[in-house]
Amino acid sequence: MRAVLLVAAREIRQVIGTRGFWVMLLVVPLALAISGFASSKLAPERSSAYIIVDKSGRFAPELDRRLELGYQQDALHQLSEYVARWNLAGIDPRAPWANPQAWLSESEVERFVNAGGADAAVARLQPHVPPGAAKLAVPQRYFVAVPPPAGVPTERGADAFGRGIAGVLQNDAVTPQGKFPYALAIYIPRTYGQPGATAHVWTSGRPDTGLLGEVRDDLTSTLRRQALESSGMPATAAAQVQAMVAPIAVSEPPPGQGRSLIATRSIVPIALVYLLLITAITTGSMMLQGLVEERSNKLIESVLACIKPDALMRGKLLGLGAVGMGIILVWAGCAAGAAFAFHGATSDFLRPSLEAIDNPWLVLAMLFYFVSGYLILSMVFLAIGSVSDSIQDAQSYLSPVLMLVMIPVIIMMQAALRSPDELIVQVLSWIPFYTPFAMLARLGTGVSMPEIVGTSVLLVVFMALELVFLGRLFRASLLGAGKPAWSEIVAKIRSAEAGR
Amino acid sequence: MAEPVISFEQVTKRFGGLTAVDNLSFAVPAGGIFGFLGGNGAGKTTSLRMALDILAPTSGRIAVLGAAPSRENAAAIGFLPEERGLYRRMTVLDTIVYFARLKRMQAGAARKAALQLLERLDLADRAKTPVVKLSKGLAQKVQVATALVNSPRLLLLDEPFSGLDPVNQGVLEELVTEAARGGATVIFSTHVMQHAERLCDRLLLLAKGRKVFEGTQDDARQALPSRLTLTARSDPAGLPGVAEAAEIASSEAGWRSFDLKLQPGASAAGLLENCTTNAFPLREFNVRAPTLHEVFIHFVGAEKEAAS
Repeated sequence: MRAVLLVAAREIRQVIGTRGFWVMLLVVPLALAISGFASSKLAPERSSAYIIVDKSGRFAPELDRRLELGYQQDALHQLSEYVARWNLAGIDPRAPWANPQAWLSESEVERFVNAGGADAAVARLQPHVPPGAAKLAVPQRYFVAVPPPAGVPTERGADAFGRGIAGVLQNDAVTPQGKFPYALAIYIPRTYGQPGATAHVWTSGRPDTGLLGEVRDDLTSTLRRQALESSGMPATAAAQVQAMVAPIAVSEPPPGQGRSLIATRSIVPIALVYLLLITAITTGSMMLQGLVEERSNKLIESVLACIKPDALMRGKLLGLGAVGMGIILVWAGCAAGAAFAFHGATSDFLRPSLEAIDNPWLVLAMLFYFVSGYLILSMVFLAIGSVSDSIQDAQSYLSPVLMLVMIPVIIMMQAALRSPDELIVQVLSWIPFYTPFAMLARLGTGVSMPEIVGTSVLLVVFMALELVFLGRLFRASLLGAGKPAWSEIVAKIRSAEAGR
Repeated sequence: MAEPVISFEQVTKRFGGLTAVDNLSFAVPAGGIFGFLGGNGAGKTTSLRMALDILAPTSGRIAVLGAAPSRENAAAIGFLPEERGLYRRMTVLDTIVYFARLKRMQAGAARKAALQLLERLDLADRAKTPVVKLSKGLAQKVQVATALVNSPRLLLLDEPFSGLDPVNQGVLEELVTEAARGGATVIFSTHVMQHAERLCDRLLLLAKGRKVFEGTQDDARQALPSRLTLTARSDPAGLPGVAEAAEIASSEAGWRSFDLKLQPGASAAGLLENCTTNAFPLREFNVRAPTLHEVFIHFVGAEKEAAS
């Protein structure tokens, strides 16, 4: 064991002494930091400005009302999520924002607006925000109405307005709330609604389709009401017809449940499959390079005079395994840190997934499959390194092996994301070489205990056989020279005395 | 007699259809320098690898330091393989300490021994230098240090002088003799007879995996008929012990010079005594002992003839 630990320690020192290791180690924390920064600083501006010139005086107020209602509904949705995240529902359990599904109900949204809307809700919640919680602020409005800039003629018809506004739309609108890019400008003529009269819309080149839809709905709705009135329907009745909404009661599973539960619970295990592939292949390549160096430098004989080939092999596996686990721990630590210590899109994505991993048996099973997968791939890299005099030699063996690993695993992962019951996922679960990948991908959505036990037993037997057979190849090839043919490799694997 | 440091008893090693070592038996006594001589493919490296337990014999018995070959002996053995290499990115000191630790030395003792050895090898100022930045000669010295760091009782050197320039060959010869003077048994394989001639007390000559000679240098030379140059008035071909006599020169005064080859077992001293006793007039009697090279050629040539 002493020799195994010495070899492992040397492998670790050699790997962590390379630049490649540090680059790889820092890739994930850097990506998390960049994504956090990007989500907070580089996120596209959600608000945009619009100009409406309503010469008829009949459409602008209705459009403003519509947009305000849409904004309040969305604000209620966001605030209810915030309240649920930071456990603030107790402040006023009857308030619309205390109910995560209130935003789906017309009457609840109306109650929210009548109670003062987003501004009042934020003012109510603000004193109770716990320390360390994400900042609570009134959600930004998506659409901000601004008056036509001075100098743009509004009294000389649509064409004159259009010519004047075209250049303005390329700039930002400066408002007391801040600067917003213009989305569009609307000109509604006095005679709008009569045959031949048309409303004009000018865009900045990046029109907001949501706003455009709202404008169209508003104009259509108002025109229909007028049509109903002119056909003899009383104004009140026409307004009621226009205000009619089909009563639909929308029910959602509780937050984090239903299909979102499958997705949520699958994120960590499937991320582990990716991490397994990345770390096993990266550290395996490092191990392979080290072994090729030992073999081509002819220093292997000096080492073998002191320790047995088996100890050398186990030491390498242990060392590289420790490096791989170290990388995973650092990455997992960074992910947990990003999820629970910071706020933003990344943490919102990671947090529920990590919280879903609440069963110690699930953690244990994930750990087992992860380590097994790592060991299986590392052994393959080790065997390839033992028969290669150069990296070019190694590549020629490595390419088919990597294809054999990557292609089924990638296909399987896509299938697992669609449904964990897909045939390929089920089948690969029982092929030991792929068991760690398939089972990791499925663990989040629940796998029966007999299946876990069965695949694990098969996996352990496979690993034992792999250690024996690839161990023979390793032992038999260390002192060899040149690149053996596949037939020689098979002969070495089959012979218990090979290399002795 | 003290127990031999290494003994091979009827050891054979086959690789598939190739017999690399064929029924080899020999013993190396403790102390001194033992030469393992033979041409390419004679079985020297295979024999050393079997002694180190890197390879297992197909048949026969091997004992090293009184026990079957095993890594348990690593602490008492120093080994310098024929093909050498080091971890390129490791520093000189770390490399030597690593091998010392593999040979079961404690960390502190390994470091102390490594630093002392670097001092002796004039490499102290390179302790922290990565191996990749050393010249080939210095790297070879570091490799020698990895073999010596544990002050081995048994030092196995496989073609230690190959690839070294004359200066470094001299340095290595010095280290080898120093190790032997310090009580270590040194066994080295070579096909360069000059090194063996200068260093070895005893020799084992291998050809095609078989032992063709074992003994001291004197024994080896005596195994070959002595050659001598003799100047006399008469043809010495008829004298007892003379195998061949070829005239090489003659003078006006009737003196003739001959190149004589003696029969195996016959000594030059016996021939001189015979000449004196029988009044065989001589003007010159010049004995030339065979070189180790000639001995090597003699045995290996004979083996080749036997094989053919």
